Amino acid sequence: MNRSLLIKNGLIIDPSEDRESQADILVKDGDVVMIAPHLEPEDGQTVLDGSGLWVAPGFVDIHTHLREIGQADREDIGTGSLAAAAGGYTCVVTMANTEPPIDNAAILSVLLSKIEEKAHIEVLPIACVTKGMEGNELVNMVELSGMGVVAFSDDGLPVSNLAVLRRALEYAKVADRVIISHPEDRDLSAGGAVHEGLTATSLGLPGIPGASEAAAIAREIEVVRQTNGRLHFGHVSLAASVELIRTAKAAGLPVTADATPHHICLTVDDINGFDTAYKMNPPLRTQADRAALIEGLKDGTIDAIATDHAPHTALDKQKPFDQAPFGIIGLETAFPIALERLTNGAGLSKLSLIALFTTKPAAVLDLPQPGIRAGQPANLVLLDPAHSWIYDTAKGFSRSRNSPFNGQRLTGKVLLTFYRGNIAYKDEELIQSRHKSSVLKG
Amino acid sequence: MNLQIRDDMPDLSMSTPLSLDALSSNLMLDTPGVDLWRARRHLLDTKDLTKVEVECALRFAAVCKKLCQLEIAPLPVLNSKVVANIFYENSTRTRSSFELAARRLGATVLNLDVQSSSVAKGETLLDTAQTLIAMGVHAIVQRHASSGSAHRLSEAFHDKVHVLNAGDGWNAHPTQGLLDLFTMLEVMPDLCGAKVAIVGDISHSRVARSNIWLLKLFGAHIHLAGPPTLMPPEISKLGVTVHNQLEPAIEDADFVIALRIQLERQKKGEIPSLSEYKKLYRLDHHRLKLAKPTARVLHPGPVNRGVELTDHLADDPELSLIRTQVANGVAVRMAVLYLLLASKEAKS
Repeated sequence: MNRSLLIKNGLIIDPSEDRESQADILVKDGDVVMIAPHLEPEDGQTVLDGSGLWVAPGFVDIHTHLREIGQADREDIGTGSLAAAAGGYTCVVTMANTEPPIDNAAILSVLLSKIEEKAHIEVLPIACVTKGMEGNELVNMVELSGMGVVAFSDDGLPVSNLAVLRRALEYAKVADRVIISHPEDRDLSAGGAVHEGLTATSLGLPGIPGASEAAAIAREIEVVRQTNGRLHFGHVSLAASVELIRTAKAAGLPVTADATPHHICLTVDDINGFDTAYKMNPPLRTQADRAALIEGLKDGTIDAIATDHAPHTALDKQKPFDQAPFGIIGLETAFPIALERLTNGAGLSKLSLIALFTTKPAAVLDLPQPGIRAGQPANLVLLDPAHSWIYDTAKGFSRSRNSPFNGQRLTGKVLLTFYRGNIAYKDEELIQSRHKSSVLKG
Repeated sequence: MNLQIRDDMPDLSMSTPLSLDALSSNLMLDTPGVDLWRARRHLLDTKDLTKVEVECALRFAAVCKKLCQLEIAPLPVLNSKVVANIFYENSTRTRSSFELAARRLGATVLNLDVQSSSVAKGETLLDTAQTLIAMGVHAIVQRHASSGSAHRLSEAFHDKVHVLNAGDGWNAHPTQGLLDLFTMLEVMPDLCGAKVAIVGDISHSRVARSNIWLLKLFGAHIHLAGPPTLMPPEISKLGVTVHNQLEPAIEDADFVIALRIQLERQKKGEIPSLSEYKKLYRLDHHRLKLAKPTARVLHPGPVNRGVELTDHLADDPELSLIRTQVANGVAVRMAVLYLLLASKEAKS
């Protein structure tokens, strides 16, 4: 980008600097040049009226499924990273349960070349904990970390054998990487489709008991206690899980956790008949669970919002409920949902909300801290927290459309996402409406 | 509600052609009910049926039953219609019952042999239905192992075909629910306050669910009995009483519905053994003494003789309604097919 853009009167929200203040920000040739309370427009500059807008560091999602390699009918690095940019993300971490899974250097190098070729933003790979995700033999953690793997996870499946998990947690210390747990007791959850309870009973669908998650977390916490290895719990969905993690953290154990936007927004009561857009794993839980997750996000028990963006084809999601795959897409809706439920709905500060999307998930995986700093390439997102819009998956950027939020009115919209100084996403219409009200020079 | 049809109805002795609509107006059938059925288009579940619709269907069923008894059927009322039976799960009685019902209304019946069809080659549920619709099928009677599969079909082809759910997973078996209700109402015209016990594997039972919704609609008190491992979580929130022992459930009951227990439940570890199941839940004459003296026993079939109830009880003409259920099944399915399929223009 060889032009310069001056965003005037935006609210800069940068948790890395603990900053929440109105200021002007000048982006020139892709770099953030200056942040100051008042900057005069110069010739040739595009000026954007940022009043009422938020300027935040680009978001980080530590749990997405971009489906590269081998599942291009659902998503690939190109479509997935574009959807991420549209959601305000400049960095996403993609899970390893592809076909074949990312469990060796050869397949990882294929993935890395796809990322190099197609990514619109930073895409960081996760590799499996065990070869073939079979839960037995560890992958070459050090070799894969050296190639750029940022964490290890068999996500989609738990590492059920605790002896294997123990070795993984110990060995990951050499690679200096976190293990991401998919906490699920597969015997307890076997065959289940929705959270066990009245909804499952009424619809005649097999239930997934809460114990399948909480029991897995309880067991795995004890392995962390044994090894002091770093374990991150993905997509935590239950009050009981939050309590277990809270206690573990209080005991000083190196555990972290994330929650998805859909688990803080929807409950099992929202399930719309046999609509498979509501089928995900873990399933939507109860109102009490939802409240506990929000509480956990507020008190820091849960470290981050992560989408668990899981694209599936319409053909697969058309199957009967019990046969359809688990998962929903979430990159393009994460921010408005969190804004509504956490800040507007539960009083979480703007700064804390943005931290859940930026500094905190980055810290979980030891990624560089996102921030808006003069002299650095612009990795930032411009948000309109008041803009009300209707999410239409047909107009979205993901290749898949499996979202329960399709057709719903959301508040909060990404206008512009800069990745390394380039515009990765731009809501042309919204930007234009801003230009009209702004002073254009040159 | 009274399901008695007078034998001296002039229409019933008339020779063909005979219009059910003409009959229905003679019987002063509830017109709003007929209109609701026409608007509904599909029968997927008993959960969302209104009492008006149910009463309308059962009155019709009573007429159909009478016509069958008088050997007046087949009636030429659905002559132009094609009804396809697609059974992805094995069934003898429901499929035969639907087939007979459709034939007695003059419809053409197409039975899809799922094992040898393209379904076995991986064709999807929706593709199969699409193909049948293209061939001019007006109604699809579907049984499938997945809950919600009939709903899926009706959503995809709402205006193109009538969907009749002949059983979807654990969710619903609406015609069974209606025929059970019909059978009970024949014995006891007012079920308000009646005690109905449902015994056995409630978790995996679409029959139990379809019965519960209807019995609630008619004001019955529903008591469930079965092993805790086969009792769906939180089902008491539906307004039913849950027991783990048989005795309190059947005590003073007006009706006892025994459910079929699949023999593989033991292998899945859901019950320790069939012998223990029998010890706790099998109905026999002795146990039935706890129920009202007038109590009757139902079973959706097929019966595992000696497991859910004793041979002797299953065949007891005084106490068992099992054969009546089967006979009523045809009449109820005739009524439902007619209400859903007969076009307004055919009304005389």
